[in-house]
Amino acid sequence: MRTWKSLVYRLFVCLWIIQILWLAWHFAPEAADLGKRLINGTWGQTIRQEDPYFRWLDGLKGIIPPRASYVFLDHYEAGKEIEARYHLYPRRHTLLRPSTPPSFLYFALRRHQASYLLIRDPELPLPPDTRSALTSPAFVPVELPGPGLVFRVNYRLLHGDFYD
Amino acid sequence: MIDGLLLLARLFGGLGLLQTLGWTALACFCPPSAFFSRTERHALSLGLGALVLTLWMLILGLLQIPFQLWTVVAPPSAAALLALLRQKYRSNRQPQSGFINAENQAAKTDHPLFWLFFALLAVLFLYATLRAVLYPIWAWDALATWGFKAKAFYLERGLDFRRLSAHNYYPNLVPLLLTYLYLCLGQVNDHLVKLVFPLFGAALLTLVYRFLVRMELNRTRSLAVTAFFALNGVTFVVHLYIAYADLTLSYFTLGAAGLVYLWLTGRAPGGVMPLAATCFAGMTWCKFEGLPLAVTIVLAALLTLVWLRPPDLLSRILPLAWPLAGILLGYLPWRLFMDLHHIETGSDHILGFYSPKFFQAIPLVLMTLFHPKFFGLLWPAGLINAVWGGRAIFSSSRLFLVLFIGGNLLAILLGYAMAPTSAEEFPLYVKGTVDRLLLHLTPVVALLIGEALKDLPEGEKGKQGRLP
Repeated sequence: MRTWKSLVYRLFVCLWIIQILWLAWHFAPEAADLGKRLINGTWGQTIRQEDPYFRWLDGLKGIIPPRASYVFLDHYEAGKEIEARYHLYPRRHTLLRPSTPPSFLYFALRRHQASYLLIRDPELPLPPDTRSALTSPAFVPVELPGPGLVFRVNYRLLHGDFYD
Repeated sequence: MIDGLLLLARLFGGLGLLQTLGWTALACFCPPSAFFSRTERHALSLGLGALVLTLWMLILGLLQIPFQLWTVVAPPSAAALLALLRQKYRSNRQPQSGFINAENQAAKTDHPLFWLFFALLAVLFLYATLRAVLYPIWAWDALATWGFKAKAFYLERGLDFRRLSAHNYYPNLVPLLLTYLYLCLGQVNDHLVKLVFPLFGAALLTLVYRFLVRMELNRTRSLAVTAFFALNGVTFVVHLYIAYADLTLSYFTLGAAGLVYLWLTGRAPGGVMPLAATCFAGMTWCKFEGLPLAVTIVLAALLTLVWLRPPDLLSRILPLAWPLAGILLGYLPWRLFMDLHHIETGSDHILGFYSPKFFQAIPLVLMTLFHPKFFGLLWPAGLINAVWGGRAIFSSSRLFLVLFIGGNLLAILLGYAMAPTSAEEFPLYVKGTVDRLLLHLTPVVALLIGEALKDLPEGEKGKQGRLP
């Protein structure tokens, strides 16, 4: 019995050595990146500046006042909306899916008194009536280099319940 | 350059104060007769300090006093100073005080394997620490919940949820801990503050190691099991730097379950249950899942005692009131805050029981348990060691470990059966959360492995406590 246990014990030791080698291989790319950053001194916020999406959000901080509200059109699953919410805080954030019909978009903009509408990806399949709604005088495009679209919104011009 | 050094000095000052607060709290919660080694005290102090400080910040929130460095730091520091003076007065009157003077009496080892395991862990922590402090917060839940709340609490200088929608009902030990470090730094610096996570990881491993030594495993074997726990799969390693609350919950769960287990086996220092109670408080104040986890530890201890029927059963059961008090300490203040501020408990975890999901979750949980990527060989080793224990498990306190782990695996499956997801999303939901839920239990699996390892024969030198 003891021999059997010792054999299992030795088998586990061998497998563990393989596991440690696999771990080293698994984390090697991250460790290499870490080493490069240490040598070049590119850590902390510099890492974020390498991301065009972060630079776009950083630019938005200069456009949207800290106590203003905005509506963000994106899929939650993309994981990009949480970055916007994190970086743009304390600006009040409301997420809507791109498929949202214009009536609900208008309702949300009015309800949250949102002064800005952000569309993370211009390629997102917006419903045609939403696209045409964005040409109304309530939406003024804001020029900001980056991956997304920005509209300044005059929510007072929006009246829900007429577009259904 | 000077700014960077100043920031580091502020960070280390903040962490040092946290450790000192915990050290002092430990002196308050443990009687002078309690026998803790210096390493144990350091490992326990981090969690206790975090618990004391964040609960104080919650009190500030209840009193609507804004977070300033001095409002957060000065009152607990003054209390700590008074407690230290009292402790010093007591130790002057009782020069034999075990708490202040006691040192680890375990045999020292100089076996090369001990240093090999130590070196492996040192490499792991060098990598994890650099990975934590050089890279800003980027992981999903850190951005969406824990780090986001910390930033909001810092910018609002209080527990202000008016502009916040990030699982507001979640307990806030981790966000408030990060907020405190932001206050120390004087800015939102979301890469430097992540140093606290590898520190919690190191404290967790120290507790694993020390509990194993207390379970009468020799030092080399204890460190081997500790390294076996840390270097198996990616889950633990990744949680050292992604700024999730799960590592902290694992730390408190290990503290609670480990101290209760040592108490059951009679290997714990005297009067340990008040200290265990603080770990239970940490569990419930750390994460939503902490409350059911804490209850299962108490239940497993109770069932073990009832099953084993020691002659003094009633007097053995009574100290279990301490963990219950700890659970209330961690739960009630936050519950009170939620009620006062009309924060509703979300239903995003629990819906009606749906049995097909229960059965659908079984293969997904098993896959995570046994897939080498997540936990390596840890769970297979734990299972084999439980089987090795055989019938002996039912006649020893080891039953507590098996009941806790088995009970929680069942609880995880039941939890998934009530998960509010569509059938289509369910596999993704399980895959996205199960490794974290299992991480909370894995340090206790390491204790089970350590227990079974004692049954293995030792070599000639091993009999002298030197070889594995």
